Formats: sequence, C-alpha cells, structure tokens
Amino acid sequence: MNPRRIAAVARKSLSQFRHDRRTLGFVVGMPLLMVIAFGYTFGGSVHDVRTLVVNEDLGPMAARFMGNITGDTLSLTSYPDVASARAEVVAGRAWAVLSFPQNFSQQLLARNAVVDVLLDGSSPPITSAVLASLRAAAEQAFAGAGGAALSLSPDYVYGSSSTRFIDSFAPGVIALAVLMVTTIFSVIVIVREKTGGMLERLFSTPLAPVELVLGHAAALSLVAVLQSAVVLGAAILLFQIQIVGSVPLAFGILLLFAVGNQGLGIVASAASRNELQAVQFIPLVLFPSLLLTGVFYPLEAIPGGLRPLSWFVPMTYANDALHSVMLRGWGVGDVGLDLVVLAAYAGLSLLAAAVFIRRQA
Amino acid sequence: MSILSDREIPAILSKDLSKRFGDVEALRRLTLLVPRGVTFGLLGPNGAGKTTAIRLWLGLTAPSAGTAFVLGRRIPPRDVLPRIGYMPQDVAVYTDLTVDENLALFGRLVGMGAEAIEDRTEEVLELVDIASRRHDLVSTLSGGMRRRTSLAAALLHDPDLLLLDEPTVGVDPELRAAFWTYFRDLTDRGKTVLITTHYMEEAAQCDRVALLHRGSLLAHGPPAAIKERTHTANLDDAFLALVRAAREPTP
Repeated sequence: MNPRRIAAVARKSLSQFRHDRRTLGFVVGMPLLMVIAFGYTFGGSVHDVRTLVVNEDLGPMAARFMGNITGDTLSLTSYPDVASARAEVVAGRAWAVLSFPQNFSQQLLARNAVVDVLLDGSSPPITSAVLASLRAAAEQAFAGAGGAALSLSPDYVYGSSSTRFIDSFAPGVIALAVLMVTTIFSVIVIVREKTGGMLERLFSTPLAPVELVLGHAAALSLVAVLQSAVVLGAAILLFQIQIVGSVPLAFGILLLFAVGNQGLGIVASAASRNELQAVQFIPLVLFPSLLLTGVFYPLEAIPGGLRPLSWFVPMTYANDALHSVMLRGWGVGDVGLDLVVLAAYAGLSLLAAAVFIRRQA
Repeated sequence: MSILSDREIPAILSKDLSKRFGDVEALRRLTLLVPRGVTFGLLGPNGAGKTTAIRLWLGLTAPSAGTAFVLGRRIPPRDVLPRIGYMPQDVAVYTDLTVDENLALFGRLVGMGAEAIEDRTEEVLELVDIASRRHDLVSTLSGGMRRRTSLAAALLHDPDLLLLDEPTVGVDPELRAAFWTYFRDLTDRGKTVLITTHYMEEAAQCDRVALLHRGSLLAHGPPAAIKERTHTANLDDAFLALVRAAREPTP
C-alpha cells in the first residue's frame, strides 16, 4: 500500500468535485434543504392532547377556569384522584394532569392560587401547547379579577421545561441528512469509474483496490466533514438547537457514521453495473434508517416483531449517540457502545468495499 | 539455463493463452513472442481477440487456460505495471478533469515525482499536439483530442512496453505520421510498441505483425514475409487469403 497513490486518487476525486459546480451546490444545498424542510414541517399545531382533570375544588372557580379552556388543543377527561391520573401519564396514556385543590376558589380570592400541572415533557411541542392553552384560559376566566393571582406549577414526569420538540428531533434529522448525502455520493463513485472504462485503466497501473477505496473514502470524508458542519451549523444557527453535550463529539459521531455509509455505498457501487442500478441502493439504506431507528418514532413505538431489525441498522446507533450527547449531555464513555458499533461499521464496510472491487474482471 | 539481460527478455511471451466468456472463445491458444525494441501490430477485425489479449497481458482478466510472461513476469504482471503504458480502446481519461490533471493522476499512480510529471507532461503534450489545451477540461475537447490525451497518459512515464489499443482512430493523417515517427524513436531506444489496429495499411509500417481472426492466430512475422507467403501484394489481401485458407477443410 502506497500513501502517495492513495493521495493521488483522493486529489483526483476532489478535483472532480471542484469542476462540477452543480454537484458542489448539492453537497451544501441538499442537507440544508432537508434540515429546513424538517424544521418547518414539524412546526405545525398540536390538538386533542389527552389531559386528565382532578377537580377537588369546593368552590366554583375551577369549573369557571375549565369552562374557559377553548379550542381543540386539549381533550379534557375528569379523573377522581391525582395518584391514578399520574399513573396514566407514566404509562404514556395521557399527556397531562391538572389538579385543583379543595380550597382553590378561596386561594384564588386570596390571590395566591396554584394549579398543579403534571406533564410528560418528552414531547416539547405538546408541553408548550398544554401550558399555553392553560395560561390563555386563566387570562380569559379571571381577567382583571386576578389573572396574576393564579400560577401554574408544572412538574415533569419525563423531559424538562427547556426541551423543545425540535431539540429532541434534531439529532435524528441531522444524522439522516448526513446519511442521505454520503450514500448518494458513494454509491455513484465506483460505478462511474466502471462505466467509463476508467476502472480498468486505473488497474493497468500498480493501484490496488484497497488504495482506490481508501482514496475515494478520504476524499468523500472531507465532503462529509463539510456536510456535517453545514448540518450542525444550520441546526444551531437557524433553529437554536440545544446541544447539552460536546459539539466536537457530536461532530465526531457524524463523521464516523458518514465514513461507514460511504463504505457501504462503495460496496453497493462495486456491485452495480451502472448508475441506475447503483441509485436503487439508496432507498434500501434510507427507509430502514428512517423507520426503524428512532428518528421519527421512539424505538419503543416500533412493533415488537420488527424491533430486532433496528439493531442491524447503523442509524440506530448514530441516532442514539447523537441524541444522548445533544440532549442528555453524555460524554464519550457514555456513548462508548454506539461509537464502537459505528467504528466497526466504518471499518468493515471499507474492508468489504476493498474486497469487492476486483482488479480482474 | 541461461541468464538473460533485461533487454533480452521478450516484451511478451504468450503460451497457449486462452479466454472464454461463456460459450464464446474470445482467444484460442495464443502462442506468440513479441521481442523487445520493435513495433508490433496485432491485426484483425472487431472481435478477433486483440483487446482480450491485451487485457490478459495486463492482468485485467484471468486466462481460462495457458499463460503469458510480460517483461519476464508471469501474468498478472503487477510489479512491472509501472513499466507498461496502456491506452485502452475507449477513451479512458476523466472528462471532468483537465488534461493536466489526468496526466498528473496517472503519473502519480506509476510513481513519478512532481517534477518528472511536469517535465514529461510538456513533452508528451507537444508530441500529441494538445499542449495549448492542457488546462482545459477534457469534456471540452474533440474526440480526437481526447484520444490524444489518453495516448499522452500512456506515454507519460516513458514505459518500456506500450500497449496501444487502436491508438490512431480519429487522428488525422499528418498527426498519425508524427505518431509513427515517435514510435520509431521509441523502438530505437529499445522500447516496444504493440499496437492493435484494423487498418491494414497502417499495420504495414510495423516491424512485425500478428493476424488474429475469431480468437485464433492466423499468421505472424514481418509484413513482407506474410505477403510473400500468401502471394499477395498487401496485408488486406494476405488477411483475406489466410481467412479463406483457415475455412477450407484440411486435406
């Protein structure tokens, strides 16, 4: 193996990108578009949130309050006691519990009433919709009479008050953007050499298949660095995505994931006779990554029979690692298993690519 | 056992070299010696097995039977590949790179240094007459110019053995004459130039030729000897005579 030859292939590959403006635009524009599209698509309104009401108020004020909860945001159901209502939230069968104490009306008149709101905070848009709806109702019910005298006291079963939906969602979308673009590029890269007769020409020199694979991977990794930076940057700057943990670690996870995807793409490319065959691998990689990995639905929402499949989709580990770093603030040690799996994915896929590309037809 | 000096080792020694693609016998027991320092023409119509022979010699495909030695190395001849220049029949240069970038890639792949690449690039581009277009993308060049770029890439590292698959297709007569002058220069310096062509009049300029037909070797030797043996005035007629003779059942 000769590093000069590897560098020669990498350099050639980068020059090809440089000469193709449209492709260069795609490298930057495509992930940006995805982040923006997803960001706005999920800015829609929330409705019919199942909310349990435990009303022990002996006076009329709690009823008046609830009478002013309008619109379709909340779907109210009366519940006898706080403990059983809470159990519903823990089990994921309700999103919120409102509880009014016996002396709520008296407290309100004394201008220090408190409504306890117990929330499942794992879905921030729902959390904020519930709270906004309640604030509006309080305003309407007691305007002038003592709106300021009523306060909401939120308590979280899951999540926290500063988690937004886009935050909980961003790690998966970011990984998805990187997955799409890296796969699209790498799946084309070898088949392009094949169709032009270039592969034979390259192998009429001392270039070894592993050198060709590593050269392409080196060039594509630089592209992946750029893409990861664009995606993370857009998420942070445009949508103020929270990153509780280390940004460089998140970046490293993305890069490792990108290299693995490229290896897989190169294998698919080597297995294809032309571009059309090659691009067919894209949905094959994309859909399991989209549906089985916790990007859009929590892993727990995947039907039991399909659940083991998610262990074989690398996106599962990339999503889990990014989610943990960005939202929980976990460090390298905490996402160690994910990193090991992603590193193995990168190593094995590149190795497979090198084995798959034969010098001899 | 004699010890040969490098110059005495044949450029190519093919022994019963055969290649089958499914039911098609692309090359049938090719036994052939290409000495050093000659221009050698591999002749025959499309499908005769010329390109298959070259791909076998380069190790780009594995033989079904037989073997060959290229510059003394049994195929696949990986460690002598830097001493071989190959120009495939298809224009094998990157159309989305400039002429310069293409040459630099192939120079680096055969182990040339930056300075050597720079010096030789100028030389070979002058020779193939596209020096003025060296900074242009290959996609902006005409078909003939692309072929010349491909030839330049094969010549860049001054190889001991040149395998040129139809190098003069789409090249105007003046430039073709210049190529032949250059090929002569190369053989004078001890280099070997193997050319495939289906232009018989061009083949007549070779020191030696081999005539292939449907994967089989019909004849080989100096063009004059082949003409004499077949009692013909040119290689075209010689070829036709040999094909007819091959078809006639042996008594």
